[in-house]
Amino acid sequence: MRALVVEDDPEVGADLRHALQMAGFVADLATDGETAWYQGDVEDYDVVVLDLGLPKLDGLSVLKRWRAAGRNFPVMILTARGDWTEKVEGIEAGADDYLAKPFAMGELIARLRGLIRRAAGRASPILTIGGLALDTSRMIATVDGAPVRLSPLEFRFLDYLTHQSGRVISAGEIAEHLYGAGDTTDANTIEALVARLRRKIGTSVIETRRGLGYTLAETTP
Amino acid sequence: MKPVSLRLRLLIAAMLAIFFALALAWTGLNLMFQRHVEQREATVLIRQAERIVAGITVTPNGTPVLQNPPRDPRFDEMAGGLYWQVSFPSGALHSASLWDQSLPLPARPDAAQWRTRTLTGPFNDRLLVVERRVRFDRTSPAVLIQVAENDADMRQAYAEFGWELAGSLFLLWTVLAIAAWVQVTLGLRPLDRLRVEMERLRRSPAARLPAGYPSEIAPLITAINALADARESDLSRARRRAGDLAHSLKTPLSVLSAQSRRARAAGAEEAADGLDRAIAAVGATLEAELTRARSAAARAAAESAIDAEVLKVVEGLIGVIERTERGETLVFHIDITEDLRAPVAPEDLAEMLGALIENAARHARRLVHIEGQINEARLCLTVEDDGPGIDLPHIEAALKRGLRLDEAGTGHGLGLAIVRDLAEATEGDVTLGRSTLGGLAVSLGWKTPV
Repeated sequence: MRALVVEDDPEVGADLRHALQMAGFVADLATDGETAWYQGDVEDYDVVVLDLGLPKLDGLSVLKRWRAAGRNFPVMILTARGDWTEKVEGIEAGADDYLAKPFAMGELIARLRGLIRRAAGRASPILTIGGLALDTSRMIATVDGAPVRLSPLEFRFLDYLTHQSGRVISAGEIAEHLYGAGDTTDANTIEALVARLRRKIGTSVIETRRGLGYTLAETTP
Repeated sequence: MKPVSLRLRLLIAAMLAIFFALALAWTGLNLMFQRHVEQREATVLIRQAERIVAGITVTPNGTPVLQNPPRDPRFDEMAGGLYWQVSFPSGALHSASLWDQSLPLPARPDAAQWRTRTLTGPFNDRLLVVERRVRFDRTSPAVLIQVAENDADMRQAYAEFGWELAGSLFLLWTVLAIAAWVQVTLGLRPLDRLRVEMERLRRSPAARLPAGYPSEIAPLITAINALADARESDLSRARRRAGDLAHSLKTPLSVLSAQSRRARAAGAEEAADGLDRAIAAVGATLEAELTRARSAAARAAAESAIDAEVLKVVEGLIGVIERTERGETLVFHIDITEDLRAPVAPEDLAEMLGALIENAARHARRLVHIEGQINEARLCLTVEDDGPGIDLPHIEAALKRGLRLDEAGTGHGLGLAIVRDLAEATEGDVTLGRSTLGGLAVSLGWKTPV
């Protein structure tokens, strides 16, 4: 497992690197934004730990450049302020998870392993339904080329529907697939999920069959 | 003693200074006027006297005789106010107006030029007198020519002039006082601006006084800004220290937790319970301290913008919460129109809604519902979950008591206490209720600007 640690504080950086090495990672350390961007651009890492406050080039800019260049390794950002605005900015720049400083080293390692597991579990094909394209490896959807952010649940829902080859699926069945077990109140939940998805990807992709359930619109050849 | 206002002080000083200057001018102008009038009158009297001199002939026995006395009627009327007198060693000639009186002779009888003096003469008149000795030939003795005029008219003219001058100078004083007032007001205006900006500085530690003050005040502005810098760096150092302290306590706390687990495993249940309680209390205090520092920082940074696009903030927050372990399995239903705005800074709104949505996500089973609407000039944002419901009266009572963050512990109480703190700081309110979905419903309310 190769990891890149980007942290300008020498003590914290060394600490992080040591902890990652103890946990079985091969860890590189970058202490400023420009070096970090260069290393992330030319090397293949399984995971990156990125501090936001960096000299030369700030963490968010580094992250945005990597994502713009198609580097899709999972990134864990470390935020100093830990307020919601910073978390939102981090996720919107393309981070996969965040951890507010100060943090417990054990938690960081556990969450990094989680990120790597999730990234590895993703299949790579890009599914298209009409104007909607799902890139399951990067969890990114585009509608007519414009990027749309989908939650993991929404991804799983769309993924499930695409594999049913036009069959109408009841809310109960969907709930059972998503949650493992369903009950009568889940119809409302699924309805809300569909409503939210339609706001993101347009109303024409998912069709409602009243009293029966949901299906995908016929894909245009 | 109460300090006198700067404006009043400057005004009083200006008015007094102007008053004394004008009083001095009044005295000077009066003196000049009197001298001028006296000179003119003396010139007229000297002309009369010269006419008298021209009319005098000396008889062979040495007695002067006036051929053509001056024709002014006042010379002929007793105490007429205009008098002449020609004195010589053996007697005197005088105008009829003198009647049986005579003009006093000069103390120094050697004047060969026209001289002027003022004296109290016959009939108790104050007189302006011109006088001169004339010698008609070498052998005859000198003759003293005197012409006098009552100066009552002159003195009346002085008095009238004095009053008129005083009147116009008073008018001038009024105008100048108004001008001084305007000047002081204009001069002190930068201080009013300074007061307003100091108020802003008080509310927001990150704000600074802008440049563009007059050069007299500029050093003060620099000093105040330096003070604000020092205060802010002290504040942030204190916050950082609190953060560092909280951080440094976390490791010993986890060591203690491990000890407690070990104690429990070794059968010391009671000791482990005590340890756990103490650890939980310290942990809650640390969380609260960190959160408080964070929200204070957010507030300071957000001073400029107090207009948040609610939907944008909510979408951003859900983007984050959807990636957490809990949020991954939940559906977030948003019922907020795109144009809905809240009268708070986006950062503050994010802190409040973030805490509420995170709370809701923690307790929800499948669904978190977020709704925003405006009713009767009131913005209401509600976050609900479909969880099993909570101990509502307990939380409400705790919030009403003015519970401190660190007393609330983690969970609903802590998040809600942060939200309440921020809502109150932004002049909003928080209400709790039971959601129709089953769980907790928390509403944030603000008056919306019309």
